[in-house]
Amino acid sequence: MAALQHLVNLIAGPEDIGRSRWFWAAFAAVCALLFVNPLWLTEFEATNGAYYLLNVPIALGLGLLWGYCGILSFGQVAYFGIAGYIYGIVAGNMVGDATGPIIGSLCGLAVCGLVATIFGYFVFYGRVQNWIVPILTLVLTLLLETFLGQTAGYQWRVGSVQLGGYNGMTGIPAFQLGSYVVMGYGFYYYVLIVVIATYLGLRLLVNSRHGKVMLAIREDAIRTELLGYDIRARQLVVFVLAAVLAGISGLFYVQWGNYITPSQVGLVQASLPVVWVAVGGRESLLAVLLSTCALNWLNYTLSSEGYQYALIIIGALLVAVMLFFPSGIVVTLARDLPRHLRTLRGQRKGEVQ
Amino acid sequence: MSEPILRTEELAKRFDGVVATNDVSINVPRGELRCIIGPNGAGKSTLFSLLCGIYRPDAGRVFLKGEDVTRQPAFRRVRRGLGLTFQTNRAFHRLTVRQNLHAVLQIAREDRPPDAEERYRFALERFALDPDSEMPAKELPHHQLQWLEIAMVLAAGPDVVLLDEPTAGMSIDETLQTGAVLKHLNARGLTIVVVEHDVAFVRDVAQRVTVVHQGRVFAEGTVDEITAHADVRRIYLGQA
Repeated sequence: MAALQHLVNLIAGPEDIGRSRWFWAAFAAVCALLFVNPLWLTEFEATNGAYYLLNVPIALGLGLLWGYCGILSFGQVAYFGIAGYIYGIVAGNMVGDATGPIIGSLCGLAVCGLVATIFGYFVFYGRVQNWIVPILTLVLTLLLETFLGQTAGYQWRVGSVQLGGYNGMTGIPAFQLGSYVVMGYGFYYYVLIVVIATYLGLRLLVNSRHGKVMLAIREDAIRTELLGYDIRARQLVVFVLAAVLAGISGLFYVQWGNYITPSQVGLVQASLPVVWVAVGGRESLLAVLLSTCALNWLNYTLSSEGYQYALIIIGALLVAVMLFFPSGIVVTLARDLPRHLRTLRGQRKGEVQ
Repeated sequence: MSEPILRTEELAKRFDGVVATNDVSINVPRGELRCIIGPNGAGKSTLFSLLCGIYRPDAGRVFLKGEDVTRQPAFRRVRRGLGLTFQTNRAFHRLTVRQNLHAVLQIAREDRPPDAEERYRFALERFALDPDSEMPAKELPHHQLQWLEIAMVLAAGPDVVLLDEPTAGMSIDETLQTGAVLKHLNARGLTIVVVEHDVAFVRDVAQRVTVVHQGRVFAEGTVDEITAHADVRRIYLGQA
């Protein structure tokens, strides 16, 4: 019981916005609402709802890496793509076997973790710092896109699965638990549960002992090392975690749409997680969660008018936010709104007297 | 004589052909309060960076408590008992006082010397720092920000600390207070090496003084010996 209380205190700790009882009441209410949502949504609408949520893990991972640990990665979609493609290959070769999707998912995440460990080892143990890191991560994802783009030929097949070049990989199996194929409402719940668990888990992490050191590394890596911390190992661990979270989004994506193309790891897609995180406010997990859902909904809705048009609006939004709310819209509101309300209330009281 | 707590052998570092540190061999015995003085650009801060592992030397070796740590990364040296404050204050300005001190206490060395806790508590009290304060560090007055960084270093429980101009920007009173705290910490077993420009401060605290000039050790001795040294007066103290 004491252990549980400790856990709850950690989750509600000071390193994210939203700490009052009111916040947790609202949080519980929104979660409850999301769980009963399918009562009035059609299966098609629920599947769309899952789409707005499925990018939350990759965004939270980037928020953790960039906002809490000070490392900007411009290539989180590389891990999104790796998990998606590996899942497609493994599950695609095990069609008919009910365990295929689970094994495929685990393989996808394992390869993500492995690639991130190798890449991160050279970056962090090589003491690469500052703006070189985003460039290297971007190069990795663009290399991956170039490689996947030239896999159109018949020779690029693994078992029975064709990589497909720029046409992409099609017919990727949906997720499956035993004989239950996770689609429609089921898929919505599956994504919703993972998203909520990821958010609460990361809140726990940022409020833990490791989280405090992460903040110190963000503020001044050398100072932190000179307090006795192996910053290389700590940066690597956070980097790998963020990569695995990006992989989870990649799995969701291919299980949702049953296809993936190299443009998913291209320049435009690479920039989107950075936009979602920056618009909400990178130094708050909650802000990242909210802005990612909102912008994915916006993107999806605008895309019915044409994809390029949607991107221009999202891009313009980023520019506007960077100019007027450099720490992000949600973070700025959470910081300044209570103060403005207090002043306003104070003024009213003054009028009465 | 027992092994010095900090020792260098013919340490050298150059940046793009500019020699910052050249053939520096120093010995700091356990329990000493040493001041390092020298004109601007003499290589004092570079020497500190070499001692703590921010830079790798081009030649020479660094020994900490008798162990060759030349190839060890900075955090290993810190865990072996070294602490450092920077010339420009590098407490975590955007974090609160609590977060600043907390970040260090997470790691407090396993082989923390028994007096370390007492020294840390003493410093907190004399520096008027509340370890649970939620005030952002950047809102502290300048001298207290300097003190905060010293307290952070003490929190880890070091045996020897390197302080790079700890009293820069402080008033005379604050400087005197800092000196009194350092002398007290030293009396309780902490080895302290201070880079300082303020001659009055050096006279107040130093047991021995090392003069660095053009990357080399120019002279070394007691405060009286150094202030009497004709060449030191000429290059550093600005007297004929």
